[in-house]
Amino acid sequence: MSGVRLDRLTEVLVPIAAPGTDPEMLASLLAWAVRPRRTLESLRRLMRDTGAEDPVSSARWRLHIETQLREDDVRAAMPLVVPWRARGCRLAMVGDPAYPDRVADGWPDSDAPILLAMAGALPPDGPAVAIVGSRRATSYGSGVAAWLAGAASAAGVRVVSGGAIGVDAAAHRGAVGGPGGTTVVLGCGHDVDYPRPHARAGGLFDEVRAHGGTILSEQLPFAPPRAGVVRARNRIVAALADVTVVVEGGTRSGALLTASAAIERGRPVLAVPGDVRAPGSAAPHRLLAEGAAPCTGPDDLLDALGSSAPAAAPEVDGVGDRGGLPTPLFAVLAAAWPRAIPMGQIADDSGMATGAALAALTRAQVAGVVVERPDGLVLRRSPSRTTSPT
Amino acid sequence: MVRALATVRGVALVGLRPREVRVEASSSPGLPGLRLVGLPDAAVRESGERVRTAVQRQGLHWPAERLVINLAPADLPKVGTAFDLPLAIAVLAATGQVPLEAARATWACGELGLDGSVRAIDEQLPIAAGARELGADRLLVPAAGAGDAAHVPGLEIVPVADLAEVAALLRGTWTAPLPVPTVTAKAPPPPDLADVRGQALARRAVEIAAAGGHHVLLSGPPGCGKTMLAQRLHGLLPDLRPEEALEVAAVHSLAGERRADDPMPRRPPLRAPHQVVSAAALVGGGSGIPRPGELSLANRGVLLLDELLELPRPVLDALRQPLERGEVVLTRTRARVTYPASVLLVAATNPCPCGHLGNPLRSCTCRPDRIERYRARLSGPLLDRLDIQVSLRPLARAELLDARPGEATSSVARRVAGARAHAAGRWGGQLVNRDATAAQVRRTTDQRAVRNLATVLAGGGDSARAFDRVLRVARTIADLADQEVVGSEHLEEALAYRLPPVAVTA
Repeated sequence: MSGVRLDRLTEVLVPIAAPGTDPEMLASLLAWAVRPRRTLESLRRLMRDTGAEDPVSSARWRLHIETQLREDDVRAAMPLVVPWRARGCRLAMVGDPAYPDRVADGWPDSDAPILLAMAGALPPDGPAVAIVGSRRATSYGSGVAAWLAGAASAAGVRVVSGGAIGVDAAAHRGAVGGPGGTTVVLGCGHDVDYPRPHARAGGLFDEVRAHGGTILSEQLPFAPPRAGVVRARNRIVAALADVTVVVEGGTRSGALLTASAAIERGRPVLAVPGDVRAPGSAAPHRLLAEGAAPCTGPDDLLDALGSSAPAAAPEVDGVGDRGGLPTPLFAVLAAAWPRAIPMGQIADDSGMATGAALAALTRAQVAGVVVERPDGLVLRRSPSRTTSPT
Repeated sequence: MVRALATVRGVALVGLRPREVRVEASSSPGLPGLRLVGLPDAAVRESGERVRTAVQRQGLHWPAERLVINLAPADLPKVGTAFDLPLAIAVLAATGQVPLEAARATWACGELGLDGSVRAIDEQLPIAAGARELGADRLLVPAAGAGDAAHVPGLEIVPVADLAEVAALLRGTWTAPLPVPTVTAKAPPPPDLADVRGQALARRAVEIAAAGGHHVLLSGPPGCGKTMLAQRLHGLLPDLRPEEALEVAAVHSLAGERRADDPMPRRPPLRAPHQVVSAAALVGGGSGIPRPGELSLANRGVLLLDELLELPRPVLDALRQPLERGEVVLTRTRARVTYPASVLLVAATNPCPCGHLGNPLRSCTCRPDRIERYRARLSGPLLDRLDIQVSLRPLARAELLDARPGEATSSVARRVAGARAHAAGRWGGQLVNRDATAAQVRRTTDQRAVRNLATVLAGGGDSARAFDRVLRVARTIADLADQEVVGSEHLEEALAYRLPPVAVTA
């Protein structure tokens, strides 16, 4: 017993400890984690080695840690609390009531993170789906991700993803307003603005918090998005979801890691077929070849969730709405859906006078019938009255 | 004993701005020699040797006396060989070989050969235009290339071939032949717009740009025809009017890009500097009196900048002010020079670093944040000057083979000329819609449509300049449709000429 005093650290941790989490245990854990060459990962190994099978009452490992702690460590751990508190995070350790059961599943033999810092609402227990894919998303990939996420969220299913740009962002955005909501698993600490467009004020992460979603991270607040750390968070994405859907990804995509983490946990993996010529189709197609179920629309997704999913709500408002689009333009856009089509090509293919076609497309954008993407224009809603693209 | 002072007038150019130079010669007894004062540069200093030999070889008399020649105003630097001829005349007058009165009334320019012949100089045309501006009504110029100077209206051009002719002319014993103005260049037919298959959007954009003089940004993957379109846009511009041709020829002469006996240009210039162009080469520069750059050489025509985003930042920034003002102001310690730079800028760029963003045939391998950084290099103020922004798509081979030929340049050019006439009639002079202010355009626009536009743009967070840009383009679209008032359909079309967003926003 070194007799290190954890009182002050414990005291400041009280407000940010999640309900049911012991602040004093949290204090010893954090003081351990900030020591040089010590990480939460090494602590997890230590805990396993010292035989702390039951983390809720693991007095033994706490004792073990505290005998090694020095006053310096406790002082060094104090500054961690500030950014966490500033961002409204709450901390829970594996096995705590607030720690998601799905992630803790199999502890200590699973690779569940010891600590989770959660901003926004605490993640609920209901059905959840992970929609993941490449940062280099095509318009098709983003479109499908948003479509699936929108339908899942509308059906009350939470959408989990990695908060990255590309497919992840499209999934979060598609789900954020719906009843299912969305959960972001960061690949860095809470105090690192990454990816910048999402972390900036008014960005995606603010939007997620504002709509009752969750942003969580297993890292200390200042941890940078190193490649290994970013890839490691994919296991949490998979662990949080009942079903994982891979939308797009290259041969070395992190989405494949998410898929294998899901398989390890015995959870279904779905893959969205893509363009066979596109490099971004490599990951889903490999998964399909290895036996993943094809996901061709929200129905496949909800079927895979099985009984845990509430009945699928029909897609609402504005389906097939032409919003005053002239027939030739609507026909061109509908034929391409859900792919975006460059404005120049719409003008060429419609056969309309160019000026009139451009003016009509602008009107349709203002009316919200047509949306602009980096690679062209696309109808906001499916042109048919069913939920699957024609 | 004090002899008479001889004076002859010449022209020094500070950029395109002419300054009168009085060449004063005084001969007095003393050690034979020639002293030249008044900030002559090396070429002017050597002038003394050329003039002496030329005078002697023409059988004229060179005094065995002390000669002082002053180029006034003495503080103005004089460059080049144009002062040979006025210098020789001043000596002849100072030594009584031609009447002093005749010399005093004479404006002259030209280089002398050692044999006494008068040789053409490149700057003959801008000097002639300058002499006219300074109030000269008669100018002696080298016979070779006199036809060029003869294009300057209101100035009598006297072509002279050698010093003996000059002496005879000033003594009144010889009359110079009338100069024959050089012919205007015969332009080969421009590349035809009919060659552009499909690409209705790009064709329309090019037509509007030519009609309104709007700067264009063409964004598209490599090989989708950006340069081809720029050439067609150039082909849609009307021929130069005589005064424009004179201005174009003057700038090109000054830059040493044109000889005095070259034909007068008929077509607007098309300049396409390579993308490693320096800021100095683009806007003009050099030591002493700065020379015109590509921006001024493209004056009244088209400046094509390929790979705009590969240009270094200082070069991009150097573009902004000239585009705004239609002229380049270069300030050096010795001189402040203004060159015209009324260009139609056609800028081409890849949509992203790999070039394939939005290409349905090949997928883009860039991450959105890299594209954003790439795009951010187009600074807001410069982007806002590019009235028309079009994203081009590559055509599949089948489309290239199947598509019918598009409308020919000749018929589109007629519409362009019509629209330009509407604009000129409305704004006065020869102004195009690019030059119009937003307030002017707004007065000719349907008020309800303007309010709607304001609502749409406010939602997109666009700048006030973007608003002006849309108004100007809409004005041109209305002109092409022979409409007096800009309506909402014109504004809606104008709104379509901007680049798609970098990232998915909805």
